[in-house]
Amino acid sequence: MRVPLLAKFAVRTMGRNVRRTFLSVIGVGVGCAIAIFMTALTMGSGEMRVRVIAESGYGHLRIVPDGWERTRDNDLRLTDWRAELGTARSMEGVRSATPHARTTALLAFGTRVAGLEMLGVDPETEFAMNRIVRMISEGRYLEPSDRDATVIGSTVADRLDVELDDDLLLTVVGKSGEMEYAMLRIVGIVNTGVKDIDGAICHVTLDDMAGLTGLEGAGEITLMLDEPDALEHAASRLRSIVQGGSEVLTWKEILPDQGGDSESDKAFMNLLSGIVVVVVVLGIAGAQLTAILERRRELAVLIALGMKDGQLVGLIFLEAVVMGVLGAVAGLLISTPLVRYTATTGIDLTRLMGGDFSVSGVLLDPVMYSDMGPWMIPLAFLIGLVSMLLAGIYPAWFALRIDPTSALSLREA
Amino acid sequence: MNEVLVDVRDVRKDFHVGKITVNALRGLDLEVRKGDFLAIVGPSGSGKTTLLNLIGALDVATGGVVSVFGQDLSTLSRRRRAHLRLTSLGFVFQAYNLVPVLTALENVEFVLELQGAGSERREAAMSVLDELSLGELSGRRPNELSGGQQQRVAVARAVAAKPRLVLADEPTANLDSENAEALLRMMRGLRDEHDMTFVFSTHDPLVMSYASRVVTLRDGRVISDEQKNSDAHEHRRAN
Repeated sequence: MRVPLLAKFAVRTMGRNVRRTFLSVIGVGVGCAIAIFMTALTMGSGEMRVRVIAESGYGHLRIVPDGWERTRDNDLRLTDWRAELGTARSMEGVRSATPHARTTALLAFGTRVAGLEMLGVDPETEFAMNRIVRMISEGRYLEPSDRDATVIGSTVADRLDVELDDDLLLTVVGKSGEMEYAMLRIVGIVNTGVKDIDGAICHVTLDDMAGLTGLEGAGEITLMLDEPDALEHAASRLRSIVQGGSEVLTWKEILPDQGGDSESDKAFMNLLSGIVVVVVVLGIAGAQLTAILERRRELAVLIALGMKDGQLVGLIFLEAVVMGVLGAVAGLLISTPLVRYTATTGIDLTRLMGGDFSVSGVLLDPVMYSDMGPWMIPLAFLIGLVSMLLAGIYPAWFALRIDPTSALSLREA
Repeated sequence: MNEVLVDVRDVRKDFHVGKITVNALRGLDLEVRKGDFLAIVGPSGSGKTTLLNLIGALDVATGGVVSVFGQDLSTLSRRRRAHLRLTSLGFVFQAYNLVPVLTALENVEFVLELQGAGSERREAAMSVLDELSLGELSGRRPNELSGGQQQRVAVARAVAAKPRLVLADEPTANLDSENAEALLRMMRGLRDEHDMTFVFSTHDPLVMSYASRVVTLRDGRVISDEQKNSDAHEHRRAN
């Protein structure tokens, strides 16, 4: 196949003023690199956020009784939680599912008291799904055979001044509205290093929860997905198969603050990337226009020879495409080492966050990682090409306005 | 009498320079007939280039009618005028104006590509270069060619699409007499062998000596139109 001369023309034009071409390519490349790096960080932090939310006991999806989202009433229970659990576990794309029941509880030891939300769990699946409970600093996590046992957070332990194997007095409101009391032995203490989180952990088995509150079964089924990106699709499929009386919520609906933060982070990063691209486009448009001005006579000759408007615009945009491709390659060369470093080593935000890595009860990772992947290549070419095509609009319009008589009337020594 | 290719009737062309109006052409009449080897001469500012611009559909007249191949150019759209230039007119410029990033062959081929020619365009371009004895220069870029060679390639580019009319603006102005004469002989050969018509604007006595007809302009009007014996130059050279 023969390469069109218009393409050769465009490619060779890059070599006319090597310094300008180099600077323009670097300009586009830096713009691409910044946009890629920001996107990589946004994607990386977004993935991290979803992962830590899911692994902090919230899951990706949750099956709850109808009305829970509106009332957040922890006394609500699923009609047939075992059936819902089976349905969830059998659904394709679900990595694991576990039942939960919650109630407000008062823990006391001597004269010290602490109020918190107690969580009833299935010890086997909870330990696998919840990264927080894997941070046991003393003792062990719950086992299915445990009765009247609890795992608490280190801050709760500090407030109550208790140790492993101490017995706590638990007070909860029972099914009939009366106060119910029980003694719980501390079998494990969790220390995440975050006071907010360690001050809100109190886990018991689901059976103990039912015995204490008089409310049988689970109030929610928490699901982890294989592919967090397939959240909406999985939610939609799950909604179509759960029983009446239950509803399916995503983590964004359970933690609207976190969902909103995630969206606003993306919007902010996109805005920053957009600003960078606009600045690059304006700079390159200036350089492109200068190049067109320098070639005014040549373009006038082409018009005189019969080049049509579409062909002229095509030539200008073809040159822009060549520059955009080179810029995209430069962008990849510049951004790849940065993204690779932050994807493997990460950015440690410990100092910035002052040692507190939780937001809305979610234990965040203090090291932020970027996401490195093949997506960088199409993004680089998209930004490079779109930038250059935008930058080429005004020079192309200017070229169309060149008076072809200048080809004849401009004398040259 | 040969067919009239260009009919210029009472043509006026005004330019506005600030508040001043310059009357470049003032009611000019001219016919260009098929086979003419026509030199338009006159002092600077007499309207030679303006006239070529109008005939070449590069500009539109302020008044009067410019008809090329029977088409009133004032009625043609920008696109139609571009099509006319591409398919029926050839241009040779004083400063050669070859595309610097293309080779001699590609410069010729480029016009054919603009016309939409397919894969045969390279062979067609090469045959034009060969016919004009420029084949050995085909792979060279303009900066690797002498002025005379560049202008001959420019002529090859102008005639590649087999136009009926070639307009040349001071084609020998930057050439020494030897190169100028070679160029003129080449163009005369094209006229004779391909029925092309040539119109030059020039100050060069050599071009006038080759011309079959010399039209003299002054102040935007034709002041003389001299039909010459087309073979006179050859006789003089032979003697």
